[in-house]
Amino acid sequence: MTRTLATGNHVAGYALALAGEANRDARGCCAGAYPITPQTEIIEYLSDFSFSRGRVVLVESEHSAMGVCIGASLAGARAFTASSSNGLAYMTENIFSAGYYRLPIVMMAVNRTLGPPWNIWVDQGDSLMMRDAAWLQFYCDSHQDLLDTTLMAFRVAEDHRVMLPVIVALDGFVTSHTQMVADLPTQEQVDEFLPNCLIPHGLKHAHPTTVGGMTMPNETEHHRFEIQQSMENAISVLEEARNEFEGIFGRRPAGALETFEIEDAETILVACNTMARTLHNVINERRARGEKIGMIRLKMFRPFPREELLKAIGNAKRVGVMDRNHSPGSGGIFWQEIAATLIGRNDVLLQDYLVGLGGGDVTPENVNAIIDDLNRRESASTPEWKDTSV
Amino acid sequence: MMEITICGRGGQGGVTLAKIIASAYFLKGKYVQAFGVYAAERSGAPLQAYVRVDDEEITNHNQIKHPDHIVVLDRTLIVPGLDANMKPGGVIIVNTGEDKTDCQEHFSGRDIARVDATSIAVAHGLGTRTVPIVNTTMAGAVARALNLSLSDMLAALDHLNFTGSNKTCAREAFKKVQSFTVPGEIHQPVKADDADHIAHLFDDDLGGMPKIKTGTWATEKPERRHLTPPCNHVCPAGNDVRGFVDAVGNKDFDRALGILLETSPLPAVCGRVCPAPCMETCNRADFDSSVNVREIERSAAELGKRPEPVQSFRDEAIAVVGSGPAGLTTAYQLARLGYPVTMYEAGDELGGVLRTGIPAYRLPRDVLDEEIDYILGHGITVHTGSQLEREDMLRLSQDYQAVFVGTGLQNVSDLDLGGKGLLTPVQGLNFLESVRQGNERLDGKRVVVIGGGNTAMDAARSALRIGADEVRVVYRRTRSEMPAIHEEIEQALEEGIILDELVSPVRLSDSGDGPKLTCQGMVLGPPDDSGRPRPIADTSPEALFDLPCDLVILALGQSHDISILPEGAEIKEGEALLGLSGAPVFLGGDFATNEGTVSAAIGCGVRAARHIHRTLSGEDLFPVLPETVAGPEMIKFHRFPHQAREKVNTLSAEGRRRCFDEVHLGFQAGPNGAGAVSEALRCLSCGVCNQCDRCLEYCPEGILQRSDDEDGYVFDLEYCKGCGVCMTACPRGAIYMTGL
Repeated sequence: MTRTLATGNHVAGYALALAGEANRDARGCCAGAYPITPQTEIIEYLSDFSFSRGRVVLVESEHSAMGVCIGASLAGARAFTASSSNGLAYMTENIFSAGYYRLPIVMMAVNRTLGPPWNIWVDQGDSLMMRDAAWLQFYCDSHQDLLDTTLMAFRVAEDHRVMLPVIVALDGFVTSHTQMVADLPTQEQVDEFLPNCLIPHGLKHAHPTTVGGMTMPNETEHHRFEIQQSMENAISVLEEARNEFEGIFGRRPAGALETFEIEDAETILVACNTMARTLHNVINERRARGEKIGMIRLKMFRPFPREELLKAIGNAKRVGVMDRNHSPGSGGIFWQEIAATLIGRNDVLLQDYLVGLGGGDVTPENVNAIIDDLNRRESASTPEWKDTSV
Repeated sequence: MMEITICGRGGQGGVTLAKIIASAYFLKGKYVQAFGVYAAERSGAPLQAYVRVDDEEITNHNQIKHPDHIVVLDRTLIVPGLDANMKPGGVIIVNTGEDKTDCQEHFSGRDIARVDATSIAVAHGLGTRTVPIVNTTMAGAVARALNLSLSDMLAALDHLNFTGSNKTCAREAFKKVQSFTVPGEIHQPVKADDADHIAHLFDDDLGGMPKIKTGTWATEKPERRHLTPPCNHVCPAGNDVRGFVDAVGNKDFDRALGILLETSPLPAVCGRVCPAPCMETCNRADFDSSVNVREIERSAAELGKRPEPVQSFRDEAIAVVGSGPAGLTTAYQLARLGYPVTMYEAGDELGGVLRTGIPAYRLPRDVLDEEIDYILGHGITVHTGSQLEREDMLRLSQDYQAVFVGTGLQNVSDLDLGGKGLLTPVQGLNFLESVRQGNERLDGKRVVVIGGGNTAMDAARSALRIGADEVRVVYRRTRSEMPAIHEEIEQALEEGIILDELVSPVRLSDSGDGPKLTCQGMVLGPPDDSGRPRPIADTSPEALFDLPCDLVILALGQSHDISILPEGAEIKEGEALLGLSGAPVFLGGDFATNEGTVSAAIGCGVRAARHIHRTLSGEDLFPVLPETVAGPEMIKFHRFPHQAREKVNTLSAEGRRRCFDEVHLGFQAGPNGAGAVSEALRCLSCGVCNQCDRCLEYCPEGILQRSDDEDGYVFDLEYCKGCGVCMTACPRGAIYMTGL
């Protein structure tokens, strides 16, 4: 284990390279790669890396980058890539293919606002656009969380009870371009944690098959049903992986949710990524003043951890959701999911806050203003827009 | 937790400095965070970077609003309120020279650590003189100000693989830091606006992108220039070709004609007969096809309104001898300047070769008459039928303050082909004059024209029009060497004229069945003095052949008749002639230069008038034109769409070959010059701004504004970063970057 100071992108690249190397005794690894701000450094890092068995394939578009991953994964390689924003949008068709092909590809989504208007800063709308693509989705709040989650992503994706691709999302610039401290594992540790990748429905020369052919409605329905079951399996597979991770790396990564001071909390904020970490100090200060307030960091978005969330909310009276994303005509996307989870819980006041859209700098002052608003409320309203510039 | 804000400019290494500082603390076992605020990455743009240092894991990810310390990498970034939200007790570490004024003015009550990092970095070659990279140098100053040891900071530089000058500079800055406290009270923190709302998109001012002055950062600035377009450069008449085409493009035919009349009084003539070298040199020629300038000029002359003629107001009387295009232009230009002008013409009508040498199917008489009438409308006195001799010239030079002689080429080249009593060859110009007067018919006759110039083509096509059965043009070189306007050759062939290339006439004799012209086949040899290949007789027996003919027309070129000048006088365009007492005499047109085109003669006339005016008044009207010609290398062709030429109407070959109706009928698209406007819009406006707004649209700073002055735009250089996007965006080379 080495402690290092590095950008989030380099930490992600390092984790992908370790995972790719860990499959060197099997079919190796492969990345289809196309640059886009703010994820380009990940691709650069991988392109500089000398894989024992595997390669980075530079292509002409995001659509093809995912195409390369699909082909490589079907051939048995551990496949991964990275993209952002409009690049993800362009990749979409093949993202759905990878999900419905059930290929355990891992993709770093460095969150960036979808344009136009042109904007390079963080907003989770891009990865959340892939909500229904049969991919698992993890959201990371720190460099260490990013590294650990990336390794966990391969472990969960390749588990035969799951066998689905994973998006690992991190904040553009706020994580990707910030230098922070992280503890890096050794290759041997990763080798131990990640067994060789084995894709049961992969293409094999000795037994030629085809994938993705025409199916009738009932077969398609069955295919979707199996995916739903696999998604549900992922939560317990994740728990197993956490235990094993702790045994090998000596620290326990976060699970589907991370909670902070929720024991007796009457007011709970739900957030994700670095915005959730900014809540730590605010909650500590308010706790010191005697306020019963806590925070839930939503780390896993797909599958959506309903049971875990209900348990964490417990008897809280007020739940505020901080959404750094926006579904026009509805509101925050996390809020929609949580509202669906809380159906029947009329004792909870659930309020959505759209905050930090387009990369707005979310400060402790902004968070305090949200908490004040939440605590003052007698009823919920339509999603509340919180401008971070004032 | 300690928080540091770094204020720098893109390219100075501010984000790396954050990383260096963070590394120094990281290596001492601290938790750290270092990040920049990323925007459109652009050299010189102000940016901020942040460092957090703590014993505990750092959870805040927001930008630092209340720093403990501030590092300023560029003195020009010191603005009022920079330290407004800084906590008390910290240090502002500034890269600045000896002058403390900025700090004293803006950092009241603060502790300052000052070092001239720019000088240190420049001295050790970090970055360039204009854009020094000061981050590693400032790292030394930061170490000193924050009570880190120099070795802590050098360890951080080692950790990040900085070596050599970077470490030397850090050491030097560490030693040279000067600390002082600015007297006065610390500025009160700026109270945050209590408003907690989304600004209403349509009602409120969202502020937009901040405008920040460039300060000393920019190294280059854009400047506008007017180059000489290639068409203007080669126009023998000196017309502002681009200018009048641009005016037509703007549907302003009056202005277009006004621009033409500044130089040439004969735009309707040139719009028909000019060989248009502007079209050969047009930058568009190799892109799709050159702009049809000649046809646009004709439209301008037809649709524009001529200004009221100027009447004479000066005393110096001037004589102009000869009324061809050179004489007409000289007279017109001098009359416009207010001189009383008297013209002397040997023939019965004015126009010289325009009238006698160019057939009506190329230049209708009424078109010529209209332009001459406008010229004469400037109060010019005319004496026709005045054949002047040497003595008359001496008289004129005493009666007038200046004399211009532009009598053209009166002597024609002859060729003795023998065949006396059988058939007498006629001279092309005499033939054309005779045709013009309606004295000729050639029904059923076979005609051979000898020569390759415009007179040969005019004679051949005229012969056809007065009934000739067969017309041949024999030329001793090939078609590509023929001096005639290529379009005329093309049209002659369309009309059925036979061109015998590489053929030289030998003798006329009787075939027994009428006259015959014996001809010699030729081959092309090495170039002669004119640069064209020399024709050499083909020695093979079949190279000699006979052409039966009823008429032979000679069109072998002309020379001037200098008998009216004193003996030994040298002919040199535009110079006062020596040896004549009295007034200066100026020569011009074909008489002096033998350039042989209407536009060259007009150019001569313009220059002669300017010479005469300068001699008489001392005023110099010769324009100073930009030397640089905007060649194709200046044009960004990829910014222009391909577009075919506007179609023009011509009489069909069948419809025109037996009559003198005008062949060219102008642009098809009309009325009101729609075709001309559309064709004019094909002009690339090479090297001259035509206010296309592309620079304004592309400027990333938005520092260009339209203005009503001649340049059309103003640059706000206080905000210009010198990025050069405007230069790159300008499709016609009218913007360039120059050092500051």
